[in-house]
Amino acid sequence: MAQKIIAEERIFDEVKKAIVNALGVDAESIKPESILTMDLDAESLDFLDISYNLEQTFGFKMARHFVLEHAEEMFGEGSAIDENGCLPPQAVEMLKLRFNGDRTSLEPGMDMDEVVHLITVDSMAGSVLDILDSLPETCPECGRSSWKTEDGTHILCGSCRADAVYKTGDELVIDWLKQVQEKEHLF
Amino acid sequence: MFAKNRIFQNRVAFITGSSRGIGSSIAREFAHCGADVVITNRKQGGSSQAKGKKLCEEISEGGGRAILVNCDISQKKSVKKAISDAKAHFGRLDFLILNAARAPFKPIERLFERELKDLVNTNYLGHIFCIQESIPLLEKSGGKIVFISSLGSRFYNPSYPLGSMKAAMESVVRDCSESLREKKILVNGVCGGLVKTDSFKTMRLYWEGIEQLPDDLFMEPEEIADAVIFLCGPASRGIRGQTLIVDRGLSNSLLYPVLQ
Repeated sequence: MAQKIIAEERIFDEVKKAIVNALGVDAESIKPESILTMDLDAESLDFLDISYNLEQTFGFKMARHFVLEHAEEMFGEGSAIDENGCLPPQAVEMLKLRFNGDRTSLEPGMDMDEVVHLITVDSMAGSVLDILDSLPETCPECGRSSWKTEDGTHILCGSCRADAVYKTGDELVIDWLKQVQEKEHLF
Repeated sequence: MFAKNRIFQNRVAFITGSSRGIGSSIAREFAHCGADVVITNRKQGGSSQAKGKKLCEEISEGGGRAILVNCDISQKKSVKKAISDAKAHFGRLDFLILNAARAPFKPIERLFERELKDLVNTNYLGHIFCIQESIPLLEKSGGKIVFISSLGSRFYNPSYPLGSMKAAMESVVRDCSESLREKKILVNGVCGGLVKTDSFKTMRLYWEGIEQLPDDLFMEPEEIADAVIFLCGPASRGIRGQTLIVDRGLSNSLLYPVLQ
């Protein structure tokens, strides 16, 4: 369900905070369209650091693996990254559905290391939003529907005080890939 | 503030992967000891390079000498270039510290062929390229090689295929310490415990609850750096082909921490 307990603005602020903490950049320099690598100088380890910060803030699990890796696991090695580390056409089509890379031209044969430039502050906030939206209607512990938050970021059951349970980022990526495959038959 | 103790004055240390994490602590420690320091990082234009530049400035401002060179250890050409840059700048090489590492976090059986090859290219071949390329310089100086290992070389860590490469390298340490004996190059390793640096930030995502270990079992990166300095100094002359565990006793205490 689309949760309305934490406002989108707050989510964006928390994403910003997580980035500031990990990269030590100025909060002012972080715009929704900022590309984490190109504009904010993030590297692979930094992404995991940002994820960790967000997990602590919201009490959920971000995706450990990028969508390309999941595609490889689902459809076999070579399906999304070829033996030279480049993207075959079907992987590019899939990424086009997932990202709107204005500044990174998505073309078959592009290097897999370029794909990271698709990740913007906005797309990161989108992943956070997706996970929060996986909140079930009712509390799995007591069956009531009385989610609330006391600190503004951790959702808990207003009735039995159990912590909210979300799908993990990886589960959501896998769900999304399955849906895309069913519709588009890319792989 | 730097060069508080000048035991390594006019000596040159080359530390792979030293723009951040444990590598940067080792670089700082060498500078403290009066050595000229070659800081290396893999990727150009990213946050590591920026951190490496900052570290160079910090060392220069403290009265030491440091340069930052690009070095992707998995590419022999890049290693060649980095070592020759170091030679061109400082004229010699005394200490080669094999610290760089890069690996996916996944159970080993789930690694793709590409990931497996990268794992070996960086974390095994890469170190050997560095050893090969620096031998002519180390031979001249009677130099030392120190490999930075981790507990994953001997104990199970979840989603840590790097551990298998660390184990292989500890074996390379044993081999090279003998095969380079004639060239008067001393080879040893330091097997570090849990340090809260960048790669730990990654590990904690895969190893739930690890942060609940008592605080006093987490190490400061400087403790590993101090062990490296010891292995490069005269006091360690009797130690050869060994990888010292420097972990505050974590590996020795078995289940003790979890049972507390």
